[in-house]
Amino acid sequence: MRDRLLRPPGALPEREFLATCIRCGKCKQSCLYGAIRMAGLLDGLEIMGTPVIRPRTVPCYLCMKCPPACPSGALKRTLTKKEEVRMGTAIIDKNTCLTWQGTLCRSCFDDCPIFDEAIKMDDKLQPVVVKDKCVGCGVCENVCPVEPAAIVAQPGGKA
Amino acid sequence: MKRRIARKTVQLSSIGLLFLVPFLNRKGITVITGTLYSLAVGPVWLTDPVIGVQTVLTTRRFDPTLLLSLLLPVALAFVLGRVFCSWVCPQNTLSELFDVVADRTGIRRLFTLPFTPVLRYAVLILVLLASLLLRFPVVSLLSAPGIISVQAANLVYEDSVGLELGLIALIVLLEVFVVRRAWCNHLCPVGSFLGLLRTAKTMKVSFSESPARSCVSCGVCADACGLGLDPMAGKVYSFCHNCGNCIAACEGVKNKENPLSFHFSGR
Repeated sequence: MRDRLLRPPGALPEREFLATCIRCGKCKQSCLYGAIRMAGLLDGLEIMGTPVIRPRTVPCYLCMKCPPACPSGALKRTLTKKEEVRMGTAIIDKNTCLTWQGTLCRSCFDDCPIFDEAIKMDDKLQPVVVKDKCVGCGVCENVCPVEPAAIVAQPGGKA
Repeated sequence: MKRRIARKTVQLSSIGLLFLVPFLNRKGITVITGTLYSLAVGPVWLTDPVIGVQTVLTTRRFDPTLLLSLLLPVALAFVLGRVFCSWVCPQNTLSELFDVVADRTGIRRLFTLPFTPVLRYAVLILVLLASLLLRFPVVSLLSAPGIISVQAANLVYEDSVGLELGLIALIVLLEVFVVRRAWCNHLCPVGSFLGLLRTAKTMKVSFSESPARSCVSCGVCADACGLGLDPMAGKVYSFCHNCGNCIAACEGVKNKENPLSFHFSGR
């Protein structure tokens, strides 16, 4: 279970984000993949109407359309390079990851948009996350064949 | 009469666009994006002025892009008054509709409130103060046009709507059973703020009598006003949203010149 919410690329730190986001939904309308969903009243009054990404449903494919669409600056409009996104960091649960448990699988490695940089295969061909390179998009979490996913995008902006 | 048809057409088109815009966005056509909180029409950005002020208060920062997007809506209000309310706002359209329904079914409201702007500005100050102190966008959560447009987009994207629409239902119930047009006249922070953006030269309904244009005091103008105002009494500017129903109604009665007209100066 995630303790925080995965926000779209360029989101300000959570407290600031909640103060700045005007709940207009323009980021959602600019998203090419339908990855951005609006939190509802049942998610809590404080986050109602704010954009949330649930990677297991649809991850962020880093098309970078949403940051420049934000009218209030809750998403940094100047962010254009996907490598500079810091939505969170992927974390591998080695106890459930197929490869770490001895079965060959490289789904997360193959589909990572920051290919061969954010997720690397170590000398035993087991996936490891490179924290400085991982942008937290959640594509790995989306494609992980284990249920629940053995690799999870842990929210927490570093920028 | 022509203006009345034009207004109804724009009102209904606006509601259509609330669904069409997200529908096209979903297909990748993004000429217009956004909702009634903030819209982008091509390169032109338009943000609800009170939402802009709220965000300055919650962030305690002046974001140039945000401020720039307030320019056209603010200018529109200064020139034509609260025409956003009467021509575009889906809550007003809904309220007008339910007002007619309530009249036809003979529902009597429990209370009438006097037309003093004290309540509406007290509400506006309160929600802006709350935004400042809590650093939380309270006005966004109370913007009826914003909520309706966001939920229209949700319906298009996800085939579902949020519980936020509960506020809209409450507004309708309040206006039908408790106080006529209570939200638009006394509570809505969006409209109240737009009402502040006026000068002596802002367009208004003026009532002026002369031998050529005499008033027979028949009261059809007051009957025609969807907000329950009396144009003959004057001084209703902070409530009037320039829909022009009173002027159109008067035209139907008299064949002389109409004592009611839109004016950009004077009383």
